[in-house]
Amino acid sequence: MRRAISILLTVVTVIFTGCSNSRQIETASIIKNVSVDRRGGQVVYTFYRLTSAQKPWGIDVPADSFEQACALAGEKFIPNLSLAKLELLMLSEDVYEQVMQDDVDYISTQASFSPIAYVTICDDGAIDRIKETNRTQTLIEEQLILIKKNNPSVNINYLSIFNNFAREGEESFTVPYISSEKELKVSEFKIDREKMKKFSK
Amino acid sequence: MQTEVKFSSKRFLLALLLCACSVILLQNNNLSPNASFSFNAICIASGLAICFLFFLPSLILKKRTDSDVPTLARRYTPKLRIPVAIFYSLYFVYGALYFLLPYIDMFHTKYFPGVTPCLITLLMLICCAYAACKGVNVISRFGIFLFLFALLTNILMFGGSLSELDLGHYGFEFRGDVNSFVQNTLYFVTPSFIAVIFACCSGVTRNFRFRQPVFTLIFTGLKYAAVIFFVRFALGDYAGRQTYPAFVLSRVAHFGPFAGIESFYLALATMSVFMIISLFLCCISRGACTEGNRKCVIIFTVIIFALYVTATYINSVKEILSNPVLLLLLTFAAAVMLPAAYIFVGRKSNAKGN
Amino acid sequence: MNYSINEIKLDLQAQFDNSADLSVRVFTLKSVLRIQAAVITMEGLVDKEQLSQSVLNPLLSFDYGTKDSAAVSDTVFSSVMASSDVIKLSCADEIVTYITSGFAVLFVDGADELYAVGVQGYSFRGVSEPESEVVQRGSREGFTEPLRVNMSMIRRRMKTPDLKFEQMTVGTDSKTQLMLCYLQSQVSLDLLNKLKNRLNDCKLETVLASGYLSEYLEDKGSGSLFSGVGISERPDTVCGKLTEGRIAVIVDGTPAVMIVPHLFVEEFQSVDDYSNRTYYAAFIRLMKYLSFFVSVFLPGLYVALAQFHPEYFPTWLLINTSESLAKTPFPVTVEVLAITVVYEIMKEAGLRIPKSLGHAVSIVGALVIGDSAVNAGIISASTLMVVATAAICGYVTSPLYPPIMMLRLFFIVVGGFTGLWGITLATAVVLIGMCAKTSLGVPYLSSLSPFSLRRMRDVFIRADWKRLSRHTIRVQKFPETEVRDADRG
Repeated sequence: MRRAISILLTVVTVIFTGCSNSRQIETASIIKNVSVDRRGGQVVYTFYRLTSAQKPWGIDVPADSFEQACALAGEKFIPNLSLAKLELLMLSEDVYEQVMQDDVDYISTQASFSPIAYVTICDDGAIDRIKETNRTQTLIEEQLILIKKNNPSVNINYLSIFNNFAREGEESFTVPYISSEKELKVSEFKIDREKMKKFSK
Repeated sequence: MQTEVKFSSKRFLLALLLCACSVILLQNNNLSPNASFSFNAICIASGLAICFLFFLPSLILKKRTDSDVPTLARRYTPKLRIPVAIFYSLYFVYGALYFLLPYIDMFHTKYFPGVTPCLITLLMLICCAYAACKGVNVISRFGIFLFLFALLTNILMFGGSLSELDLGHYGFEFRGDVNSFVQNTLYFVTPSFIAVIFACCSGVTRNFRFRQPVFTLIFTGLKYAAVIFFVRFALGDYAGRQTYPAFVLSRVAHFGPFAGIESFYLALATMSVFMIISLFLCCISRGACTEGNRKCVIIFTVIIFALYVTATYINSVKEILSNPVLLLLLTFAAAVMLPAAYIFVGRKSNAKGN
Repeated sequence: MNYSINEIKLDLQAQFDNSADLSVRVFTLKSVLRIQAAVITMEGLVDKEQLSQSVLNPLLSFDYGTKDSAAVSDTVFSSVMASSDVIKLSCADEIVTYITSGFAVLFVDGADELYAVGVQGYSFRGVSEPESEVVQRGSREGFTEPLRVNMSMIRRRMKTPDLKFEQMTVGTDSKTQLMLCYLQSQVSLDLLNKLKNRLNDCKLETVLASGYLSEYLEDKGSGSLFSGVGISERPDTVCGKLTEGRIAVIVDGTPAVMIVPHLFVEEFQSVDDYSNRTYYAAFIRLMKYLSFFVSVFLPGLYVALAQFHPEYFPTWLLINTSESLAKTPFPVTVEVLAITVVYEIMKEAGLRIPKSLGHAVSIVGALVIGDSAVNAGIISASTLMVVATAAICGYVTSPLYPPIMMLRLFFIVVGGFTGLWGITLATAVVLIGMCAKTSLGVPYLSSLSPFSLRRMRDVFIRADWKRLSRHTIRVQKFPETEVRDADRG
């Protein structure tokens, strides 16, 4: 009798422990990359959902920051939003000064984000290219790995960029820059710390 | 019954090593952020040296009498047996909550934010009670598997973080102050709770050697140093923004496209806390009644759960239960004062007998 | 006490209620005093030709002269009977046991001796390869139902006087005979006595298979998912175990011989390991361990990841899995459980179905479940792959299939409700249960935990024979056993 009661108690606890928290794979909207650019004077965050289709499925969310964009996206546009698989954040070169530091700061506080996801600055052409085909992200990531291999001082992920923001005593640091003149090409891009708000710990 | 069979002291101390190493897994930014790695290394050494001092009385007791405090309390001071049992029960209930609170907090914030922490705690405690009913011997056998898993997890965590090491920017300079030294050393004395477990359960072990606890503490120190090294040099300032830097380290670790090592971290943290609380419950039943006594284990499991629920809703209770100074004082009493008293009592009884 | 034919005949007829298969043949011997004798048999259990040749013909043709009953009885035993298998019974109560075992009980009217002559002639299945333990390089002989045949197979392989068979009877109605088989110099008397006490505690009315007794041999208070009693149908396996101080329990009427104590690591050992090259044996062993883990954990992990941690899937797998699961109407936990149960139903049906229909069932099973259900969108291909992989892996260590099956279901439910965290906790609980389990006082996970480096030579790998033969293994010498290696004095 006692064994039956203890087993029943355990089963009830097991059942009630988790069933409210599942994020089922088939209903989760898993975001694999986010691009940020300026359209019509407004900063627009585009969330690209993971899909097997050739053409990426992106949703535009106008917002002033990544934090705001995530909140709006989850509420209004993308149910079951999951950013745990976010692999790439692309910032257009005309918005990075405005949003980069705050966005990296915000991402660093979120447990679900991977600190080794890539962050890169790019031109508008690259942002347009990523809307056309899923292959673009793969190409960009390959280029980023290559540039890191050739020049270890380039900071390609959240972790290193955050640490560079937080570090005192250095005037600038290097991040990757994706250009799309003829084909996607990655080069180094220097960020002057004076141009952006002082990061306070 | 396997509870009556003596087992290898080496294996027991391996289980205690795993318990001690789990402290750093559940670290919640208790270390001073201004301290450098070399400074922390010295704090580790001093903290663990104090841990060894906490260990000494029970080591001497074991060496001389081949027994532990509850057994000696029954043998030499039967009238004091109940107060000693009450004190140790109090200590282990406090200790269980001290480790349970940050674990459930970490788990709740990182993995299951939608679920009531009390349910998670209840399930955890049910499993720990089951393990505690089996006895220290069985839990130490489980420790062998946990050790292998911990080895794998550490290899994955540290190996996967190697590519993020930035030794150029974060140097080895010595940087810290007195306050930081005290704060950090206090943190590194936390593993001394294993001395209390040893004081309660060493009577069921055989082939004890003095060097075994020394090695236990040395390996604990190495593990702490490795975690702090990687957190410092692989995560850098990023770790300062995080609660549970060890968790972040597991998130950062990757082998090319293969990541997800935080799942191993979660499993290791879970099993480590499971082992600690099971051992605590075992020690309670050993002190209060007989090892593996089901009623005793269930009663104290319910007490722990009730206190946990209370701590969840009343902040002041939570603060008391998470107070490292209080834990240290209780550990001192349980690991040093009581065993020392029984060394003296044992000597007196032997002298009378002679 | 002098035995009277009439009394014994009436007594037996009353006991058997004039059963048609009881045969009591009374005849008068060639003696001056016209002394009578009787042969009692059970129809169908004796070889009539052998009975005639070795018992009746010599008995009837001998001239007993003027001897009295007692002298005639002595003469019959010492000079007349041509059979080598003659047992003197201690009392009339034993008659039933022997005649139901295929013996012919012979006695002289008025004498005080009863003889049981071994003239068994009942039909039994011939020696064949055991289906549950197929090997490539070992013997093809397997145990059969008759006790004596099984004993002979062991005796043939262990040509040492150290091998001993000790008879016991269990089952108040069935009076099933069993033999305890062990090597006298290797076995622990403490272990032997423990085993005997447990068998004596068995108060079953009928014992028709060795499985009836295995629960009596298990230790009290230990987890019941895994069995602490080993089963083997191979004489070579049993002989190998006897050299390690274990005891084999051979039950009449069943080819499955029980071996105690039994450890977890033995489930992954087979005769082929000791015949093949060491590197190949090591590979096969490691593959078995891997298969065990895959079979137990894969469906549960799949469910946990799909339900709670989809981000842990690699990207390429995530896309395929989510798209295939999105097409099906059921949650992934329900899907996995349903396919697992359907698979078990098919497996059971495959076991019971007549061979002539087997092909049709396998086609239906493969097409209906494997193809049509996926195309119809009832189940997803990825789920089916996972369950199929786990099922196949489960058969690599087929003696462990029942606990594997139960654990698999358990982890699926736990993973579906609590994710990876629940699976971790459940694994810890199961491990604790296994660590606590003992088999006649020997820790079930011996060699692994309590860890023994020396014995690891035959756990994940198989060291070469030169190394293995350097140290003999005795179960009573394993660390932390509750079995004393008592002095034989």
